[in-house]
Amino acid sequence: MTDFEKLIGALVGAQVDFLVVGGLAATVHGSARLTQDVDVVYARSDDNIARLVAALEPCRPYLRGAPPGLPFDWSTATVRRGLNFTLTTTVGDIDVLGEIVGGGFYEALVEHTVVVDLFGHACKCLDLPTLIATKRAAGRPRDLEAVAELEALHEESE
Amino acid sequence: MMPDRFEPDPVIEAYKKDIDRTLLRQNLRRTVAERLANLVAMQRLAEEACRSGKGMVREP
Repeated sequence: MTDFEKLIGALVGAQVDFLVVGGLAATVHGSARLTQDVDVVYARSDDNIARLVAALEPCRPYLRGAPPGLPFDWSTATVRRGLNFTLTTTVGDIDVLGEIVGGGFYEALVEHTVVVDLFGHACKCLDLPTLIATKRAAGRPRDLEAVAELEALHEESE
Repeated sequence: MMPDRFEPDPVIEAYKKDIDRTLLRQNLRRTVAERLANLVAMQRLAEEACRSGKGMVREP
C-alpha cells in the first residue's frame, strides 16, 4: 500500500522542485477513482536531481515490475542518464517523471499548477484543464474513463 | 497552451455517460484534505478486500 503522505513528505522535506500529476492530482480535483501511486514531474536541474535522489534514497527505490537483482543504482548519475522512472519503494509506488506527453518538462508545466495543501504541505498540483489535456494527449485506452471523469468534473465545477 | 474547453471526443463522450456525477458533486463539496482522507480510506478498504480474497476458501 502506497503511503502518499510519506512520499510527498520526503519530497517536500528535501525541497525537491516537483509538481503532482496523475491520479493523485485527479483526487485533488475531485476524482472518485482509486489511485495506487504518486506521480510527480520533477525539475531536471543538477541541484534538483541531487535533492530528488536524496529524498527517495532512504526508501530504497527500485524499478517497478523489474526482476530482482538488477544492478539498479538510485543515484544522480542514473537520473541524469534517464528521464522517467517508475519506482517501487519501501513506502509504496512512485513515478518520477522528467517529462509528460502533451505537457513537456517541469518548467512548462509549472505555469499550469495550483498550490494545494497535501498532507500539511503546500504543493504544486497540475490544474484540471492541463491534467485533462495531458491525459488526452497520452491517448492510452486505460485512461479513457479517467479522462471522461475529469471532463465531467470540469463541467460540474464551471 | 492548455484549452479551458475541449473539443468533444466521441469516445470520451461515450464513457462520460457512465460517470456517476452524484459522486463527483459530493467530492466537489469536500475540501482537498477530505478528498485525500477519502482516497486513503478507499486504499485501505481495497487492501483489506484483497487480503480477505486471498484467504477465501471455496466450499466443496
